[in-house]
Parts: sequence; C-alpha cells; structure tokens
Amino acid sequence: VTARLIDAELLAGALSTAAWLGAGWSAAARRRRLATALVTLAVLALVGRIGLVLALSRAGWWFVQEKVTVAVPLALIGVAAVALTIRRGPEPSARKVVALFVAGYTAAAGPLLGLFVGYPATWGAGLILLGAVAVAAGLTWRAVAPPVRPRPVGWLLAAAPLILGTAVAVTPPASAEPGTLNAIPVSAVRGPNPATAEAAGVPVRRFTLTARTAEVTLSSGRRVRAWTFDGQVPGPAIRVTQGDLVEVTVRNLDITDGVTLHWHGYDVPVGEDGVAGMTQDAVLPGREFVYRFLADTAGTYWYHTHEVSDPGVRLGLYGMFVVLPRPGVAGLDLTLPLHTFGSTFAVGDRDEPTTHPVAPGTAVRLRIVNTDSAPHRLMLDGTPFRVAALDGTDLNGPAEVRRVAVRLAAGGRADLALVMGTEPVTLRIDDHAAVVRLVRPGTAVPAATGDGDAWPTLDLTRYGTPGAVPFDAHSRFDRHHTMVLDRGLSLVDRSPTFAFTVNGHGFPHVTTQRVRAGDLVHLTVVNRSRDTHPIHVHGHHVLALTYNGRPFLGSPLWMDTFDVQPGEVWEVALRADNPGVWMNHCHNLRHAAGGMAVHLAYDGYAAPTHHAHSA
Amino acid sequence: VRKVYLAMSGVVLIAVLAQFYFAAYGAFSIPREHASFGAHSINGLMVIPLASLVTTAVAALARVPGRLIGLAAAPFGLVMVQFLIFVVVHLVTEMTMERSTPGAQAILGLHAMNALAILAVSVRGVVRAWRVVREGSARPPAEPVAMQEAAERIGAPA
Repeated sequence: VTARLIDAELLAGALSTAAWLGAGWSAAARRRRLATALVTLAVLALVGRIGLVLALSRAGWWFVQEKVTVAVPLALIGVAAVALTIRRGPEPSARKVVALFVAGYTAAAGPLLGLFVGYPATWGAGLILLGAVAVAAGLTWRAVAPPVRPRPVGWLLAAAPLILGTAVAVTPPASAEPGTLNAIPVSAVRGPNPATAEAAGVPVRRFTLTARTAEVTLSSGRRVRAWTFDGQVPGPAIRVTQGDLVEVTVRNLDITDGVTLHWHGYDVPVGEDGVAGMTQDAVLPGREFVYRFLADTAGTYWYHTHEVSDPGVRLGLYGMFVVLPRPGVAGLDLTLPLHTFGSTFAVGDRDEPTTHPVAPGTAVRLRIVNTDSAPHRLMLDGTPFRVAALDGTDLNGPAEVRRVAVRLAAGGRADLALVMGTEPVTLRIDDHAAVVRLVRPGTAVPAATGDGDAWPTLDLTRYGTPGAVPFDAHSRFDRHHTMVLDRGLSLVDRSPTFAFTVNGHGFPHVTTQRVRAGDLVHLTVVNRSRDTHPIHVHGHHVLALTYNGRPFLGSPLWMDTFDVQPGEVWEVALRADNPGVWMNHCHNLRHAAGGMAVHLAYDGYAAPTHHAHSA
Repeated sequence: VRKVYLAMSGVVLIAVLAQFYFAAYGAFSIPREHASFGAHSINGLMVIPLASLVTTAVAALARVPGRLIGLAAAPFGLVMVQFLIFVVVHLVTEMTMERSTPGAQAILGLHAMNALAILAVSVRGVVRAWRVVREGSARPPAEPVAMQEAAERIGAPA
C-alpha cells in the first residue's frame, strides 16, 4: 500500500502542476472559463496530495519528510500567490498569469524532489527550489508583462537562494574514516594460522580455485562465455565439516579486472572478507591470495568475487560453500544454486529439468541458493515440507507446510527439508523450465505441470515458533542507524548519475555507520524506491525485529540478506562482535555498483575507501 | 541573445536525435544488459532536460513570443512525462525490474510515442527559432503595453 501511495502522491503533484500551467496559459489567452476549470482541478489535486501525504505519514516520517518540509509548503505559497491576485478582481492581468505559472512551478517541486532527490530534503534542496521558482517567476514576468528596465538587484535577489542552496547542498566528501591514527588496518585482521591449528589437532581442509575465462556448456548444450573458477560454473563446491579450518587459495589466470573471494553470509575475520579495495587488494592475473578461517558454524553459504561483482558474479565467479554439522547428515543432501546466464535460467549448470531417483522414506534437504540479483519464487509440489533453515541458520520449530511458495531474496539461502513419499516431488522456480524432480526409483517422470502460481507466499514473520534470543525489540540499544533507500541524482565514482542512494547519497558519499566493539546496534531500513533491495550485511547476522512496525511472531530469523520491498520498513539488530570495517550493500549488484552501499565501521579500525566498484 | 536561443534549440534537437540513437543502441544489445542503456539514461535524464531549461530561460530573456518560450520548455515537460509513465506502470501493474507484464508493456509503448512528440517539439523549436533570428532585426521594439499585448506575446488569439 505504501508503495502505491508514493506513486499516487507523485502523480497528483504532476497533475496539479500541469493544471496550474494550463490555467496560466489559458488566462494569458483570455480563456477565462478554461482557466477557472483548470484552477479548480489544480486545487483539487493539491487537496488530494495533502490527503495522500497524511496517509503516507502513517508509514513513517521517512516517506513524507521532503513533502512536509518543502514540497507542500512551496505548493501552498503558489496557491497563496494566486489567491492574492484573484482578490484584486476577476479581470485577467499579467499579474494573474504570472501567479498561475508560479503556482505551477511550486507544485512541480514535489514531483521533482520525489523523483530526483528523495530523502532527506535538506536546506540546500529547499533553497535551490525556492531560488529556481523565483528565477522562473522573474523570467515569466519578463515574458508576460510590459517591458520594464532590467533590475539586476531583483534578479540577484531571486537567484540568491539558488546560489546559497547549491553551496549548502554540495555533496559531502567521501566518507573517510576519522581517527585513522593508531587504527588497526582491516587487512591485518586475519584468521587462524593453519600450521598452528594443525599442530593442535584441528582438521585443516585445503582448496585451490583458479579464476579464468572459459566457455561453459549448460546441460542443454547451450554455450555461455563465462568468468569461472576452475573452468566450471558454478565454481567447485566447498563442503567442509563444522570445526574444520578452511584454507582456500585463489589464483587469477586471466580475469583482467581482478578477483577476490567473499564468503557470503559467513562471519569471517574482516581480513578474510574479500572486499577488494577495502579488506584486501583485488587479486590480479598472475597473483594469488590465501583465505583461512574456522568453519565454526554449520549451514548453507556461498562464495563469490567481490571485485567488480557486477558483472563478475553474473558471469560466473561464484560457488557453493556448505558447512555440514559435525555428526554428519543422513539421507539426500542436495545443493541447488540458482543462476541466470544472460537470459537462460539454470540450477547449477542445468537449464533443463533434472530428475533424482529417491527411495521412499529418505530424508531430503534441498539447500537452495539464490546467486542472482533478483528474488526467486520456490514452489515445492507433491510433498509437505519444512523450511529448515534460512541464510544458513536453522529455524526454530518450523511447521510442515504444503502448497505454499517460498520467496528467496537475491543472495539468500533456504534449506527445504522433506521426507520422500511415494508421490513424485517437483521443485519449480518461478516459471522456469529447469525444474528439479525427485521420483521413486523405477517410476515414470511426472509431467511438468503445476498450479504453484496460485499458491500463497509463506509468511516468514509468523513461521515457526519463538525461541531464545540474546536481545529483542525491547532491548536497550547502544546505536541506532537508519538506511533510507531511494533513487536520486548523486555522485557515484566521481560522476553524477541517477544513483541508487542511501540517505540521499550514493556510495562512497554515504555517511558511515559507526559502532564500538560490543555495541548492540539497531538498524532501520526503509525502502522509498520502486525497486526491491536485498540488503546484505557483511561479517554479522542480523536478527529481524519488526516488519512495517509489526513484530516477528514466529521463529527467530537470523539473516545476512533480507529483501526490503518498495514501501517496506524493516527493523533489525546485530551485536557488534566482529571488529573491522564492513561493507553493507544491496545485493542486487547493479544497485550496489550504482551507489547503494554503506560502511559499518568499528572505532579503532580503518580501511581504505577509495574503491566504489568493489561493491 | 536570439542567436544563443537558436543555438540552444539546436543543442536540444541534437540531444533528442542522439537519444533515439542510444535507444536503438541499447535495444539491440544481446544479452540484454541494462548498462547498454547507460548513454540513453544519462542523456535523457540530464542533457535533454537541462538543455531545454536553458533554452527556455534564454528564450524568455530574448523576449520571444510566449508561445515560443512554451515550445522551448516543452521537451523538458515531455521528458518528465517519460518518467511519469514509469511511475504509472509501477502504480497500476505488478511489473518489476526483472519481469514485465502485458499491461505494463502496453503502457510502456507510450514511451516511444511520447518520444516522437519530444522530437516534434524539438524540430519545431529549431524552425521557429530560426525564423525569429531571420526576422529578428526587422521586428519593431516592443512598446509599453497592457494586457492586450501581453496576451499577444503569449501567442494566443486575443
């Protein structure tokens, strides 16, 4: 509803603008009746706008801030100008024509702010708009009214707010980390030494991945030019057991932009996080980098490059990372990476249906990983199932469900658990041909039909049962940070673009979120834009607190990637227990490259910040 | 000032023509990459609106008839309509960046129709500006007048 209100308010503003300008035009043409009708329309649209702003304000101040402080007051000034001139009598006059046009300019401020500036509207933006209206009024007067001696003072007066506003609104400098003196460089915060660990009896698992370009062949025979690890897409799966020490050497053969490995969702020491330009330099062709960390948490994760990740991940620089619980797993344990190659959707490297023979009674766990930049809708047909885990963390008391779809955020993971029955089971993803089927050995493959489109989507705010949590919405928080996601004109990579913004700016101009080690951090994420933003937090898992102001009533949800849809407000919390400087960003990687990223920095830690493309 | 007005009208027209080129450039990229529309998006978002606004200001300073001032502002207004089309699509359809719907595409077709309107007003803007410059010196200086003439400036049948 909130997203619809945002659109409707903007369109009402545009309608109001058009009606005022049309009225001005009609008045100048001495078409009084038309002018009166258009003025009525403009005023009605304005009243409608104010109603919509009031309705929108219920969703939160972030959605109306620029409307309440700038757009609506300006529009009212325009109405006042018209009212003043109308009081002087019904005859058309140059004054009236100018007043009607000015009302149009003031009404336009709202839609322009909404489309191109967003939250928050600053003094600077307000002054620029005021000055622009004044200058436009002057030009209109000059065009409409009898010629008068040019008055430079008048022009200067009109332009003054414009100049002042520009000075105020000038983009803040890239967010440098203050207090870098004596600060610990994040590249020095590394995982345990494998040799020492090995001597202490910790099992060490070693892997080597070589990044190179290759032409890969999907199951249908379709060939795709890809950036790969070891010539395959997805890269080799890394499956280890809880308690292992993982050592992964990445080499770069011919990816000219460089590569890194980011352990998506795994809370490694910051020096192992693989954010190029921040926690390490990108690994250029001929170079290598060794990652090592303790796999102390079981669950479904993935790794991917974090240097030019858009387009790097899209072109194939990713793979699965699964940590199995120490007792091991029984039954069938399948990892299913979802990826779109160009316009071809595939599960793993299969862009056609896949059939697995499964004996009845077998416990099956489907670890589904969304490596795309858009959410996917998962429909598991022919069996009841449980959502056993989300983003690698087991849910508490997940109930058995049937004929419901699971929405999986970009970058997110869902583990679906079921016990194979006698009926065939089909996993459908959106409406793609690459379905996954489980059938009793020796039985026919079922036809690929289903009514999954009509299924409701599983409501994760009330799935499972509440469990023990170290903090909740009522805890006392040490820090509050807010991220308002929008679009707007901002600098990204030193060039002005229509950026994906956080709090009105594109990275690296977004104000860094500062924390101290041990802080309990409250994070509010607001989506004012028209796109879905899967927010990915590095180095920490957040506990979901509220969704659009309502508490989560089901299992505690510990997430590293949560989908904030247009008009939504999420409140989440994290314990600052992994010191460093972290890159939190939208995992629609095009949005991240377009500015939607922010640093979460611990006091006493420093990272270079020159690298916007690492997002 | 009138020559600047003509020159700026020309800049708007060139930017609009380039916009059509960039649209086709992006539309034929395979696989369809959003980045292929980068030039289209920058040109449409910044160059055309700014050029149109500057032309409008110059036209007003040059005291050309009101109708021509409106004509200079028309590309700006119509480019804003291009954005509003996307807002309407978002309001009334379920289209996302990843998946279009038939209804959304039906509305988005208007993007091209409106583009033709932008082209039309840009061409007309250059033609009229050219005429103003050609006849400019022959035009008598404006007299102090009342509303009658003001209406004429706006270019409407009084």
